[in-house]
Amino acid sequence: MNEQVDISVQFAGRKLANPVFTASGTCGYADELADFIDVDALGGFITKSITLQPRKGNPTPRIVETDAGMLNAIGLANVGLDRFIAEKLPLIAKMKPAVFVNVAGTTIEEYVAVVERLAGEKALAGFELNISCPNVRKGGISFGTDPAQVEEITRAVKKACGSKALIVKLTPTVTDISVTARAAIAGGADALSLINTFTAMVIDIETRRPVLANRTGGLSGPAVKPIAVYLVNKVYREVAREAGIPILGLGGIRTASDAIEFLIAGATAVAVGTASFVEPDCAAQVISGLRDYCVRKKIASLAELTGSLAEPS
Amino acid sequence: MAQKRESRKKGRHTATVLSNVRAGECFWKMRLRFSGEAAGVFARFQPGQFIEFDTSDLAIPATDSIPKALLDGARRSVLLRRPFSFSDVTVQDDATIAELLYCVVGPASLRMTTLRAGDVASLIGPLGNGFTVAQGKRTALLVVGGMGLPPIRCLARLLNTEHKEVETIAFIGARTVTALPLEERPAAFEEGLSLSVPTFATLGVPSMVATDDGSAGHRGPVTECLTRWLQENADRDREKLIVYACGPERMLEAVARIANDRQIACQVSMERRMACGIGLCQSCAIECRIEGSNETVYKLCCQDGPVFDAREVVFGTETA
Repeated sequence: MNEQVDISVQFAGRKLANPVFTASGTCGYADELADFIDVDALGGFITKSITLQPRKGNPTPRIVETDAGMLNAIGLANVGLDRFIAEKLPLIAKMKPAVFVNVAGTTIEEYVAVVERLAGEKALAGFELNISCPNVRKGGISFGTDPAQVEEITRAVKKACGSKALIVKLTPTVTDISVTARAAIAGGADALSLINTFTAMVIDIETRRPVLANRTGGLSGPAVKPIAVYLVNKVYREVAREAGIPILGLGGIRTASDAIEFLIAGATAVAVGTASFVEPDCAAQVISGLRDYCVRKKIASLAELTGSLAEPS
Repeated sequence: MAQKRESRKKGRHTATVLSNVRAGECFWKMRLRFSGEAAGVFARFQPGQFIEFDTSDLAIPATDSIPKALLDGARRSVLLRRPFSFSDVTVQDDATIAELLYCVVGPASLRMTTLRAGDVASLIGPLGNGFTVAQGKRTALLVVGGMGLPPIRCLARLLNTEHKEVETIAFIGARTVTALPLEERPAAFEEGLSLSVPTFATLGVPSMVATDDGSAGHRGPVTECLTRWLQENADRDREKLIVYACGPERMLEAVARIANDRQIACQVSMERRMACGIGLCQSCAIECRIEGSNETVYKLCCQDGPVFDAREVVFGTETA
């Protein structure tokens, strides 16, 4: 009965069966997750970051738990474009959800080269531009914090996308995220995803050293959720609503009510990230909970939730 | 895409706690009962494989029962599951019974001590690749460092029940006598090999204990016991020996060097911080050599290990 509730959404030119994605870097290349969840039941799927060349990633320790969250500094470890196409893409191509390949690099040319090679893949819905990774020395966040660079890289990559949709993933580590959001839209972004992680540090008080080999890592998990909800609402009100650009909201989502907060704040779709590490079927539980909410609140279309935030009483 | 691969079936399971008792200075032993489908899944648990235990919704013990050293961090919230290997797995009728020997070191393991008989534990597993018993091996040398004991104890059980043709000897090391995760301590630790340590003796496995401070058995690293045994048994056919080790990485490195130098097969069980245990987070990287090349590659402790061939691992890369 619950399954019959329509929670489909329109996102970046596609109809998704539901608004729930799994976030890049927390769901591998889908095969790892398939033991625990029917990946075909997801609304969308975003791969781990792909770079032109394989990347080994950072030395360990790469993670540390914090109160209500964790830091990671994986360093964009990935198999590289060639092996991704040969080994991972065939499986991903069979998936029902809208699949977006998360693309990272150290130069604009690298990003463009990856997207050009994949733009012809029918099974892909599009790309997510990672210009917000805090854990690599070159590229990553250095693109994402300068509005001029955000616009330039978005324009160059969008040109290589052909008919595919381009999501630009924003970092929260800026003074005004609406400025970066505007730059991404000016460059041709079809959607925005926010937020990526916050740069953070944990110190071992016995050795007085940072716990992570990379010194710093990206904070994710429930700890960041209220900030993410605020930033989604800010970007929605100040930029995205008027521009007609959908937001993929993420940051600390682990329950349906978390997801609904993001929708009310202005997101069209949401992604489950860190929570999948703890409950690999978390996204499926969120989908089910969304349906329950729609029944309880007699919501005919999830679109009516997006940006429906009321004024404080 | 959605179909599960039966060959490496893993998943979320629940187990009923049969008992959960203090077994030493800071060691606890939990016995878990798997029934139904999980009983079948865990009956095939390989020694060295692991599970991810959810402690996030468990209660914090009363303040007066929290060890003083842990009081400061005891109330820290727990988000991620914690990886553990089992020290014993046995099939009893239609249930599978697993023993989880754990050391109370922080907020998660502290919460585990509040589980009581009849409580239900949530876990994911069996995960990773365990120890393998190669054809043609006649003698298995087990090397334990402190909390590296559980998977080695589990392996000793497997060798004792399914590979009776393999002679098994255990070398057990720790910082000091109280850091030996042994439930029953012998009245006196003998210097040489003996059946005095019940944990292994009940499986017919002779053992030798070493402590850094000499408070039990040999004074010095456990690897000295291994080296001495190899010297005393230098006439043995090395092709028929195999070394299995679990413990701190520095010990594993030393064991690997001893085995590799003598061209003796050796499997080591590695440890890394991991967020998920199922290949999603990519946290638990282990630097490994590529055969016939000077290049290295990061493998994942959770998926490619935790048991690795000792010749493959580049030790000491994790910053402490």
